[in-house]
Amino acid sequence: MSEEEKFDAIVVGAGPAGSACAYLLAKEGKSVLVIERGVSAGSKNVTGGRVYTYALELLEPGLHAEAPLQRKVVREQIMMLGEKSGTTVDYVDYSFNGEVPQSYTVLRAPFDEWLAGKAEEQGAMIAAGIRVDDLIIQDGKVVGVKAGEDEMYADIVIAADGVNSFMAQKAGLRNDITAHEVGVGVKEIIELPPEVIQQRFNLTGDEGAARLVLGCTEGTTGGGFLYTNKDTVSLGVIFAPEGAAKRGKKIHEIFQDFKMHPAIYPLIEGGATVEYGAHLVSERGWKGVPKKLYRDGFVAIGDAAGFVLNTGTIIRGIDLAIVSGIAAARAVLGAKDSAGVGPAYMQELETLNLIPTMKLFAGFPEIIDIPRIPAVYPAMASEIMNFMFKIDGKVPPKMTKEILRIVRKHVSYGDLLADGWKGVRNI
Amino acid sequence: MAGIWIYSEDTIITQQIITLGRELAEKLQQPVCALTLYAQDAQTLIAAGADKVIVMKGDNPWPESYAEAIAAQAEAQQPGVFFIGATLRGKDLAAKIAAKLQTGLITDAQAVRVVDGAIETERMLYGGLAVCTEVLSGMNVVTIPPRAYDVPAQDAGRSGEIVTVEVTAAAAMAVGNVCPIVRKGADITVAEKLVCVGRGLGKQEDMQLAQDLAAAMGAELCCTRSVAEDYHWLPNEAYVGLSGQKVKPVIYLSMGVSGQVQHVAGIRDSKLIVAIDMNENAPIFGAADYGIVGDLYQVVPLLTEAIKNK
Amino acid sequence: MPTIIACYKWVLDEQDIKINPGSLDLDTSRAKSKISDYDRNAIEEAVVQAEQSGAEVASLTFGNSKAKQSLKDALSRGPAKAYWVNDALADSADAFVTANVLAAALKKAGQYDVILCGEGASDTYAQQVGPRVATLLGIPAITFVSEMKIEGDKVIATRKIGDCTEVVTSSFPVLVTVLPEINKPRIPSLKQVLGAAKKPITEWSAADLGLAAEQTTAKNKIKSIKGFVMSRKNVIYKDGTPADKVAGLVASLKKEGVL
Repeated sequence: MSEEEKFDAIVVGAGPAGSACAYLLAKEGKSVLVIERGVSAGSKNVTGGRVYTYALELLEPGLHAEAPLQRKVVREQIMMLGEKSGTTVDYVDYSFNGEVPQSYTVLRAPFDEWLAGKAEEQGAMIAAGIRVDDLIIQDGKVVGVKAGEDEMYADIVIAADGVNSFMAQKAGLRNDITAHEVGVGVKEIIELPPEVIQQRFNLTGDEGAARLVLGCTEGTTGGGFLYTNKDTVSLGVIFAPEGAAKRGKKIHEIFQDFKMHPAIYPLIEGGATVEYGAHLVSERGWKGVPKKLYRDGFVAIGDAAGFVLNTGTIIRGIDLAIVSGIAAARAVLGAKDSAGVGPAYMQELETLNLIPTMKLFAGFPEIIDIPRIPAVYPAMASEIMNFMFKIDGKVPPKMTKEILRIVRKHVSYGDLLADGWKGVRNI
Repeated sequence: MAGIWIYSEDTIITQQIITLGRELAEKLQQPVCALTLYAQDAQTLIAAGADKVIVMKGDNPWPESYAEAIAAQAEAQQPGVFFIGATLRGKDLAAKIAAKLQTGLITDAQAVRVVDGAIETERMLYGGLAVCTEVLSGMNVVTIPPRAYDVPAQDAGRSGEIVTVEVTAAAAMAVGNVCPIVRKGADITVAEKLVCVGRGLGKQEDMQLAQDLAAAMGAELCCTRSVAEDYHWLPNEAYVGLSGQKVKPVIYLSMGVSGQVQHVAGIRDSKLIVAIDMNENAPIFGAADYGIVGDLYQVVPLLTEAIKNK
Repeated sequence: MPTIIACYKWVLDEQDIKINPGSLDLDTSRAKSKISDYDRNAIEEAVVQAEQSGAEVASLTFGNSKAKQSLKDALSRGPAKAYWVNDALADSADAFVTANVLAAALKKAGQYDVILCGEGASDTYAQQVGPRVATLLGIPAITFVSEMKIEGDKVIATRKIGDCTEVVTSSFPVLVTVLPEINKPRIPSLKQVLGAAKKPITEWSAADLGLAAEQTTAKNKIKSIKGFVMSRKNVIYKDGTPADKVAGLVASLKKEGVL
């Protein structure tokens, strides 16, 4: 084995987790090889989405100012759709647009490419267009990777290869994902002039809005999202594939109905779709994170480790990916020997608040799983709102009586209580 | 400008281009001069409409060896424009002549016209996605696709000047083993009806579906480039596209063809384009007159039956 | 040791180019770049021939600064070094200019026994740069080659020219343009991708090549480039059973008089 074939670290995947990890390691003088399956970093990635800037600043202060980001999110919105109606809670908070804005909407191709470029600047080698086929394991320790005919060795292999991590499976840390553990996300990027986006979403300059939508998945567990970018809008749906299959609904049909909904369509009217994308999304939260995220010579970070959070109001993935990349890099830099890297990594994940945060929201997938959430409650809420605002000259029924009637029409008290109890327990 | 020159190693193509030459001659008030390697064709070219014919007499039968000699003639006589038949041999020669003369060269001109006294040409870019219109200045070489124009009627009474020039043909390369490519199927470039097979067909055995449909329709079979070059289910002469055959049938019917620009560039002149494919967003549907979005394994047999029973 | 130089062009991927529906102007803003398809065959053939005959391979390209990305791609495919004429002139260059630039670069590079080019670029498909370069260098060109081998100081190439094939033999130096069927370019392995970063790159500007202004000015003026849109009926049967759709189609074709 010649000098050329050995690196201090091999990172599999040049997404945010892999690039952040490579960045730190290279910065501290480690020899790092990042192997990316796609033709360029980010070409295989899809996001809603947005990135929370604290993570970029954690990687390197001032980094957010350099990154190719879209709009600074000041409007956080939650929407519930009825058949022909929508109820939106719109929270605008200009403090989110401080000196370091809290979050930016983002487009993955330029962002991932940029972050990988930053890692390269620090001295990491990036090999794109190469798929890693297997790990090289000797005496129970991971010592390298195999790509085609080539073998590369390293003191540590860091798996940053995304939601259905092949590397984590090869390392024996997880099995192939089941349909139950993931959602399927589909999205379109729709072109609109910036002024039109600003008008429709009530934004000034480079401000942005982020919206999560319930009631658009035709009864299947899931929800929609909408993020405003500079001159495009990201619109998409995530839902449980099993549920969709059971109801005989095709993915693109559900998505088209969502686009055409009278409360959504005016927001994107006149826009041209410039990109389609689809991707799997971890839906299990903390419970979906493998019991062990490391073994001798190997750690898993980012989506490969299941680090995605969906609280129903907020979705986080990119920041967690970057933080986990930082955690892994710190562990590698600080560990005395290869066996110490894993435990040091878990410790860093605690110190950097990633694990405590994932644990805090561990119960949320249970809430999101409640079948009535996508199927019943949005319709129920819409009917209540309709009653509240309907004026037709007739004498309306008494408010409390009517609201209770509507509730009972949609859900039994028993179910309501059960759902409420599940909600309270899991929050 | 001193003359509209025309050359092809294939005299029929030279005659086709004379049709264009005569059109331009009217507008530009320039004589048409045809070049040929074959003295026996000189009179035919005059009868077809050339005002002058230059016979290049050399001892090398290989057409490609006349690039320098032809370029020398053009250098001496400075024609305004030099049309060369866009066969592969012709394109090879045209590029060498253009380099020798240090002129521009327009390849595969789809249209040639005179606008405000200057010659304008149109050609395809980006695999057929776009059309580029250029205004020529100074002497230019332009290659014209075979069959772009019809052979003009012969006027045996026409007279013109025939000049024979003895030239030394280049001899740097040895050419041997000239083998005609045996056409394994019908000539799809003249077929009236075509059934085209694309990658939507899962395996070679499924070609039977296409063959049955073609038989019912009285059509010839053709395919997209990958079916010929990658899968070898049909010979290379059967593939339609920018770098393959250009077809102009009365009806072109495809199955499992997505409709990439390079393929569509080869079927543009079809009178009717019909497509069958699974994917409703396939580009072929934007290029089609009629189509069915569906599973070809179900649709094609039904269609074959319907045509047989009509 | 003979030298084989493979020329390639860094082009926009035509699949990413959109046509603006109103003006029919081309929107290339989202287009990624690639090594022109048949040039990949040229590079692969250069490498294959070098493997068999012990020659040294270099790549050569003429492009603006964005072509820098292409060097890693080209080098990972096997050449030992890369030449790059980096000049904004590439944006307005036609085949006449490109051939002048490449010929000058080849002369500056010094040795070239076999020059390989694709038979045409995937963006312009003008099919002329190869033979033009050969003529400028005063060497023979063998075009539309489907198969070749090197024996000593000779190239023996099979041309496929429409209705026949012919075998052409030429001594060095010679230029060959290749058809895509000549080979199937291998996908670079990890080691090749990593190795590419270490290979030498020689960069020149057009000025370094000593070309006169006339040689770097395109010959003709481009009046317009517009998207080609075919207006067809677009009657597409999507709904119902296969039998329904077939019935619809057959009815339409009968009306058109083709059945």
